[in-house]
Amino acid sequence: MSLRVLNPNAEVLNKSAALHMNINAAKGLQDVLKTNLGPKGTIKMLVGGAGDIKLTKDGNTLLKEMQIQNPTAVMIARTAVAQDDTSGDGTTSTVIFIGELMKQSERYIDEGMHPRVLVDGFDIAKRATLEFLENFKTHVVMGETPDKEILKMVGRTTLRTKLYEALADQLSDIVVNAVLCVRKPEEPIDLFMVEIMHMRHKFDVDTRLIEGLVLDHGSRHPDMKRRAENCYILTCNVSLEYEKSEVNAGFFYSTAEQRETMVTAERRQVDEKVLQIIELKNKVCSDNESNFVVINQKGIDPPSLDLLARAGIIALRRAKRRNMERLVLACGGEAVNSVDNLTPDCLGWAGLVYEHVLGEEKYTFVENVKNPHSCTILIKGPNDHTIAQIKDAIRDGLRSIKNTLEDEAVVLGAGAFEVAARQHLINNVKKTVQGRAQVGIEAFADALLVVPKTLAENSGLDTQDVIISLKNEHENGNIVGLNHHTGEPIDPQMEGIFDNYSVKRQIINSVPVIASQLLLVDEVIRAGRNMRKPS
Amino acid sequence: MVFHMQPYGIQGLLKEGHKHLSGLDEAVLKNIDACKQLTLITRTSLGPNGMNKMIINHLDKLFVTNDAATIVNELEVQHPAAKILVLAGKAQQEEIGDGANLTISFAGEILQNAEELIRMGLHPSEIISGYTKAINKTIELLEELVEEGSENMDVRSKVEVVSRMKAAVSSKRFGEEDILCPLIADACIQVCPKNPANFNVDNVRIVKLVGGGLHNCSVVRGMILKNDAIGSIKKVEKAKIVVFTGGVDTSATETKGTVLIQNAEQLEKYAKTEEAKVEELIKAVADSGAKVVVSGAAVGEMALHFCERYKLMVLKISSKFELRRFCRTTGAVALLKLCPPNPDNLGYADSVSVEEIGGARVTIVKNDEAGNSVTTVVLRGSTDSILDDLERAVDDGVNTYKAMCRDSRILPGAAATEIELARKLKEFSFKETGLDQYAIAKFAESFEMVPKILADNAGLNAMEIISSLYAEHASGNTKVGIDIEEGVCKDVSNLNIWDLYVTKFFALKYATDAACTVLRVDQIIMSKPAGGPKRDQPAGMDED
Repeated sequence: MSLRVLNPNAEVLNKSAALHMNINAAKGLQDVLKTNLGPKGTIKMLVGGAGDIKLTKDGNTLLKEMQIQNPTAVMIARTAVAQDDTSGDGTTSTVIFIGELMKQSERYIDEGMHPRVLVDGFDIAKRATLEFLENFKTHVVMGETPDKEILKMVGRTTLRTKLYEALADQLSDIVVNAVLCVRKPEEPIDLFMVEIMHMRHKFDVDTRLIEGLVLDHGSRHPDMKRRAENCYILTCNVSLEYEKSEVNAGFFYSTAEQRETMVTAERRQVDEKVLQIIELKNKVCSDNESNFVVINQKGIDPPSLDLLARAGIIALRRAKRRNMERLVLACGGEAVNSVDNLTPDCLGWAGLVYEHVLGEEKYTFVENVKNPHSCTILIKGPNDHTIAQIKDAIRDGLRSIKNTLEDEAVVLGAGAFEVAARQHLINNVKKTVQGRAQVGIEAFADALLVVPKTLAENSGLDTQDVIISLKNEHENGNIVGLNHHTGEPIDPQMEGIFDNYSVKRQIINSVPVIASQLLLVDEVIRAGRNMRKPS
Repeated sequence: MVFHMQPYGIQGLLKEGHKHLSGLDEAVLKNIDACKQLTLITRTSLGPNGMNKMIINHLDKLFVTNDAATIVNELEVQHPAAKILVLAGKAQQEEIGDGANLTISFAGEILQNAEELIRMGLHPSEIISGYTKAINKTIELLEELVEEGSENMDVRSKVEVVSRMKAAVSSKRFGEEDILCPLIADACIQVCPKNPANFNVDNVRIVKLVGGGLHNCSVVRGMILKNDAIGSIKKVEKAKIVVFTGGVDTSATETKGTVLIQNAEQLEKYAKTEEAKVEELIKAVADSGAKVVVSGAAVGEMALHFCERYKLMVLKISSKFELRRFCRTTGAVALLKLCPPNPDNLGYADSVSVEEIGGARVTIVKNDEAGNSVTTVVLRGSTDSILDDLERAVDDGVNTYKAMCRDSRILPGAAATEIELARKLKEFSFKETGLDQYAIAKFAESFEMVPKILADNAGLNAMEIISSLYAEHASGNTKVGIDIEEGVCKDVSNLNIWDLYVTKFFALKYATDAACTVLRVDQIIMSKPAGGPKRDQPAGMDED
């Protein structure tokens, strides 16, 4: 072979072998992820190198955690993870759709079809499906006050595929309220403003939304209040500790008195800053009703803490940078970088600030804020893997709500779209195309059915029965999805099963591209030096 | 060579060294089996007659205990499914501080029963839905079984506290509960704040001193520090106390300081000023009325000298938390550095004295009237492992107190509640029509595990006991449990064995959650264990 002449160590797979390797890898990955899809999908347990447990049903997490080595599988996994990055959901669907597309193609290729022809068909089918999706989607108007019900339904559809039903229903309320809380008119939604905090405590159903902020550290001084009402909040990024000078400095003294003065002089600089804060406190808290809380991004050393404590100020040090941003959004006021010229305008306000101690950990809650634009989802769960699972699910839930608000559209779920799209491709599009490209369209259309098929399979239903009854309903002009409890067709609109428009569009867009690339490979070459030890 | 064709399926996709288990046989049943093995270890330790385990952990530390939380913690369970059970036990331990064994054993029992159901042909998802229904019903029933009138209790009444604590303590140190319970109750009641819900476990300290015996155990109002006083003054009474978190020494600058000395005279002068400075400070401290100086860091030689001269007792507490506790005990405000104290910042103790108990010198800080913030339980015993075990028993007792401060409702103990739950749940399962009725019935049956183990561990005939319990309960005596001392069934309100409602509630809930999680998993993907440094092989027993 020509390549072997050039490099005797190169490994080559050519023609059908290369193609089949790709197809097999795609199918293999599909097999792994298939059982995840839908509300009846099963949980996988991932055990890490250190023996740590992770339980997941989320395709994205699974792909990230599995250390995949097969080159084709890596390619597919990357596409799927990219899907998650852009739209926040639909990883599992992407993988199984790619797998199914390859499977359908394999049939035709084995019959002697050239992959190029199939790929052409895919391209036509893809464009037609996207057009169809535009007409198929349901518009929802998201004005000043969006319809919470529809958002909840979207959230629930997503969350139920990640968690068990009761918890998912509860969380969908939480994610909707969280997103609406951080949403500002005329500005893109920044989900980063939703703080996700977890506490290992109680049960997963105790997870709740806090309008305000939860910080995972407490005040460091025993004399500071543990609970305060009507609090002014100063968010600052000022170092309240002695900082060594940049140059290498030293003192010379010859009596103990002199040294004593040095010691006080050293402190003075820091103390002055603290006194400025105390002065502001005395100005705004002249009545005894209100309290003052300082949340500092930099450190506060024990003498300063002591001064603050004596002035009745609650001080938190070393707050996270991201929380400084959120604090301002939640409580109002502004973050100050210097204590000079402090005015009461810089202050935020919170109705209640309190500390919660959980074993060794301390948490500070800043609650009852006015008009918040940032909030916290406080996840509770008895152990780490439950918390991790909920965290992943919430991330996806938030994204799905955000997508809906931005798309101003949803797509009927439960497999309804896929069946309808197939119908459209077979009945309308295929006829407009001449020649062999028709085959590609057919393969694409059949591959779409993998979603309802897998849903049925995971629910323990008979796949063929389900597909036929769904097809028949669509033939009669009814848009129906699959009821995974009974296997009967249902109207997704009535049941409130909605998928994200952008997720579906992204899937339709990316899947044929990657599948085409894999089909058009006719040679796999491994050359270059092998870095691993020869086995 | 050409690529060796990758095998089809997941095996070919993953890195070498991966293990992949899936499906009913490989994953679910294996998981259940692992959990079963784990519970076989813990269940023999359940209840007052539970057996002790001897565990030597990787640090060669010996544990002799029947506390499930400790056992599973030291076992270092590797199997992922069994680990879920361990985590449930740990969660229970953190939440309540007691009942970890019930959590783990019960989870194991319902998993074992789930296995039977799976072999019968039920799908795990049906079992899960049945178990979920069952646990919800159990919670309902549990509320009904709560002893009437128990929701209001006086957390300061020793009798009431002891009766609720007894079951928890006796399951750890059977036969010693009559001595331990009053001690723990005393200690807890003394530090109970105005609002009992704010009770802090940290305020009951435990000091273990080898020597003596159980009868030498006592409760001290105040603290015991396990070290000697630094100076020569060993006993002070009715003393004011000043606390410095920084050291008691000459002050120092953050920036490096250098003493500039040109001749011998200056050196002498410098030393004098230094001395004068320290003396001035110590004198000011002594003038403020303080008799005891507590330092959080080192005490300088010179400072110590002056303290002696002004008849100040000097203590050193190097742990920050201990120092904070000390401040709470005495009501002192910790000062940052050596300076004349404000009278408000002084603390007070009735007596501070160094005593020798069992060969160890300890400083006892007593505060009979003023301070009700910290008490110490002094435990005496012949060996370290007995002391450790006693400590765990006291911990459980204190945690039980905390739990009862929050929710004082109680349930009949000695397996009376379990049998009643089993009976009622079974009735409930007959009313269900779906496939989950089998799961609910099995769930009900699982409760029999508790009386069975109690009886087994006490050497009684379990089947006989269970059937007579059922008979009693069916005839309406719902509070009949096992009296393990006599081996007969008796009304527990006479035996005075009560369990806390919250302990049971959380234990059952965590157990069911964990079991359902194990059942939900149908695929396990294990990556290659990380190659850390290999642990030393444990030294063989026969080596000298």
